[in-house]
Amino acid sequence: MASADKTINTDVPEKDVFAIHFLQSLSNLRIQNLFNSPDTTNYRVRKIKKAAYVSMARAAGGTSRLWSRALLRRAAKGNNKIVRFPRRKRKVTWKISSKRRRSDQRAPVVEDAAERLRNLVPGGGGMETSKLMEETAHYIKCLSMQVKVMQCLVDGLSPK
Amino acid sequence: MMNSSLLTPSSSSSSHIQTPATTTFDHEDFLDQIFSSAPWPSVVDDAHPPLPSDSFHGHDVDSRNQQIMMMPLNDGSSVHALYNGFSASGSLPNFHIPQGSGGGLMNQERQTQTPSQPQARASTATGGTVAAPPQSRTKVRARRGQATDPHSIAERLRRERIAERMKALQELVPNGNKIDKASMLDEIIDYVKFLQLQVKVLSMSRLGGAASVSSQISEAGGSHGNATSAMASGSQTAGSSNDNITMTEHQVAKLMEEDMGSAMQYLQGKGLCLMPISLATAISTATCHTTRNPLIPGAADVGGPSSPNLSNMTIQSTNTTMGHGNGKLKGNGNGIIEGSSSISVKEAVSVSKP
Repeated sequence: MASADKTINTDVPEKDVFAIHFLQSLSNLRIQNLFNSPDTTNYRVRKIKKAAYVSMARAAGGTSRLWSRALLRRAAKGNNKIVRFPRRKRKVTWKISSKRRRSDQRAPVVEDAAERLRNLVPGGGGMETSKLMEETAHYIKCLSMQVKVMQCLVDGLSPK
Repeated sequence: MMNSSLLTPSSSSSSHIQTPATTTFDHEDFLDQIFSSAPWPSVVDDAHPPLPSDSFHGHDVDSRNQQIMMMPLNDGSSVHALYNGFSASGSLPNFHIPQGSGGGLMNQERQTQTPSQPQARASTATGGTVAAPPQSRTKVRARRGQATDPHSIAERLRRERIAERMKALQELVPNGNKIDKASMLDEIIDYVKFLQLQVKVLSMSRLGGAASVSSQISEAGGSHGNATSAMASGSQTAGSSNDNITMTEHQVAKLMEEDMGSAMQYLQGKGLCLMPISLATAISTATCHTTRNPLIPGAADVGGPSSPNLSNMTIQSTNTTMGHGNGKLKGNGNGIIEGSSSISVKEAVSVSKP
């Protein structure tokens, strides 16, 4: 099968790229000066979590990956214009529209697992199963990188 | 119709054979398939007569069905050209067989088109003067005994692609040595959930809840009589711990008046929860003695590195309690908590402390 794409590209940048993006987002948060009242703990937590995801999406390749694009779009809803989305050359969802009816017949074991994955991975709703798994691989790599960065920060900056 | 074309003289068709590179694309195709398949030499070495009749159906189900796709059924001219050429070289019996199966070609066209393949094989086996330049093929080789209609091929391609990606995912996920596809997919899903949970936990401890979480620890430690120096967080003094508790209780009482959900959320953010007094009393008396000692060494590393663990316990709803901490919360909000006992029973975690 010479046409099989043996080179599925799931490389992610190094840790420092993620670290830089995350630290930048944290300092942006601090500038907003939310952290005075401890009553808003939950609000702080949510802001930090959102900042973590957005910085991860940016570090992982911005809008060149489907999941990061969906994440950024979701985060930018209602906000100021943070992200610019270049027009894609072709529509991604053509495969779904033509074969959605048949998807239930195709290995239902795989398909309902794919449904659960679609709920977890951002932007998964519009992807075919094979594309979804590619995105999941990249997403997992980026998530683990982000977790490592955050853990290092926590460990390094925690008071003794 | 086909018979007549078979018997036509082959002045033009012989040119087809002698210059295969310049012939039609279809011609090259099936020649390429023939020469690229491995067991061909065995067929060539066989004697002539056994080839045509015996091998027809025997090779039908052979693995070289890919030639079926290449064979241009409608355009039989190239095929016939070959036959004619070989007839020129003297292998006369071949003529009859292609004729016979030429009709068969038409009949079995809707099937897997296998009969066409033995014809070509028979003819080229004898000849072998045609050189077909090997090309890279992008067509799929059909498996043994399977249909080759485009739907199933696309289906197979898709499955292979999915399997390929799952193999790549298998290396990423820890404990990804499952052979079963279903359990492998479950592992993947759980791992994604776990990573997302880790991000959430880390964002709670990192800058976010660290101050409030450590305050809970310090107050609990202080009220329990442990050395407050053991509470290494350092961001809150022990003196303000009591104020924190009171403030928390007032805040919770205020929130409960408007909406229970927001009150619970607020508590959750602080790492606390509600529980009926009777239950809390029972737990505190039961565990106060047993858990005190292990807590002292555990409290020493309450600082940064273990704050994620704290938040973990908040989320995982462990059941360790600190009696005094609960007592304080219960005491002031007595009436309110009793009233809400039905709700709190459901979420009867406890104060999250190590």
